[in-house]
Amino acid sequence: MSTITWMTARGLFGRRRFLLLLPLPLVLLGLAVLCRSLGVDPGEWGPAVLVGLGLAVVLPVVSLIIGTGVLGAEIDDGTVVHILTKPLPRWQIILPKLAVAAGVTAVTVAVPLYVAGVLADSVRLGLALAAAAALGALAYSALFLALSLVTRRPVLLGLVYVLIWEGLLGNFVSGTKVLSIQQYVIALADRLAPTGLLETTVSVSVASVMTALISIGFTVLAVDRLRSFSVAGETS
Amino acid sequence: MPEPSTTAMRSTPTGVIHDIGYQRYDGPRLGRRHVFGALYLHGVRTTFGFGRSAKAKIFPWLVVGIVTLVAVALAAVRSQIGEPVATYAQFADSMSWLVLFFVAVAAPELVSRDLRSGVLPLYFSRPLPRSDYALAKLLALVTALWLLLGGPQLVMFLGAAFTTKEGMRGVWNELLDLLPGLLYAGLWAVVFASVGLLVASLTGKRAFAAGGVVAVFLMTTPIVGVLSILPSRTANELAGLASPSSLVQGVGIWSLGDLLLGEGDQGGLSIGGFGPVYALAAVVLVAGATALLLARYRKVAS
Repeated sequence: MSTITWMTARGLFGRRRFLLLLPLPLVLLGLAVLCRSLGVDPGEWGPAVLVGLGLAVVLPVVSLIIGTGVLGAEIDDGTVVHILTKPLPRWQIILPKLAVAAGVTAVTVAVPLYVAGVLADSVRLGLALAAAAALGALAYSALFLALSLVTRRPVLLGLVYVLIWEGLLGNFVSGTKVLSIQQYVIALADRLAPTGLLETTVSVSVASVMTALISIGFTVLAVDRLRSFSVAGETS
Repeated sequence: MPEPSTTAMRSTPTGVIHDIGYQRYDGPRLGRRHVFGALYLHGVRTTFGFGRSAKAKIFPWLVVGIVTLVAVALAAVRSQIGEPVATYAQFADSMSWLVLFFVAVAAPELVSRDLRSGVLPLYFSRPLPRSDYALAKLLALVTALWLLLGGPQLVMFLGAAFTTKEGMRGVWNELLDLLPGLLYAGLWAVVFASVGLLVASLTGKRAFAAGGVVAVFLMTTPIVGVLSILPSRTANELAGLASPSSLVQGVGIWSLGDLLLGEGDQGGLSIGGFGPVYALAAVVLVAGATALLLARYRKVAS
């Protein structure tokens, strides 16, 4: 475990604000348990909880906060200089940070999704959701980590992607679904455990190829951007 | 035991304050009301990025642009087919995601930046009570959100008024439709601003504040969806209380009725006879969020 990994993890967990991430998964769990205990038909609450809350809100928002936080917080504070001046190849900075971001996001999201999936249908659906969410966490984290290097306002740009591209346009213009990580995650989960609960128009091959492409592409972009990174002050 | 020399220095002070010629200010000193007004105006300008760099204008004006574009499109379609596509209140409803994004952009700019750069003690050393600071910021955000929704509604009104075929009577009827729409936009503004600003004031990091605002609003929407399919009619009809946006819609359905729903359209949210409960909940939510905001500013940076 490299020093960078250790520092990033401590930067995430060392502050009380990490606790702010807990309500999202807890609400997901609570709703699933509530619906199950009241005996509502899973066909009705499944899509609302698993997709509407889990994959459309919890996964992207947690990834956004963590993914832009692992490097963005240090850029904001200016302490990124201390890492950049060490004789480390840039990929040894990006990869540990990406691993921490994706790992923490995956654990935070996959565990409640697994439980909700088990409650909704079967252990198989739970495992499929957890696996797909972990892959999605990797893709989202790579995207948002690269965003925090490309622009000074990564969170707002990330919100544009999550809210307007995936949320708003995805409902009206079906063409944008081909470029939406959320749809890839749904497609992958549906392939791993075919149920009637998850619906998407994106094919599995497109989803898997695009997820891999996004994860690798944005990581390479992040490494490249960090190679010629200029430290600036607070945005005006 | 005191040294003899220090005793001597105490009895005969040698320090002198020289007048090095700084000019004194003897103009009028404006009081609390002016500080409040200046802070409010500065807040409204901040939300739209006026007086700041071009980069700060990108996101607010992106939202303003999209909202205005939609309003112009609605007005144009209406003038072509002669039928209103969406009422003013429905327009405000359908823009809720963009309003949410605007809050996520504006609220951290208003409060988180001051928290982070540590200028609050400077503010509070003026004749400005802590509550005034919070209220001025809140009022600025409410105004900005109301302008964001009300401006495009005015565009729709102008489009309808200039293409009406019933002369002045048509314009008057249109105006009677517009005014409740503007009030409804004000309700959206008050609810979103009070909750959003409270969340943003909890952290000095704008990134976390923006994420937190969106998380709070987005997280609550699916709860409504789940509650409204529970096998209990009361739970279904009270489901809208769980999320600020459906709460606003519930109040709108209760007070505006067909202005919001249109003919034969159920609008997805049925509130049954609980309209007053929704109105009360909205008041409690706004009052509670404002009270918490004031409490937060009683303690912060002290």
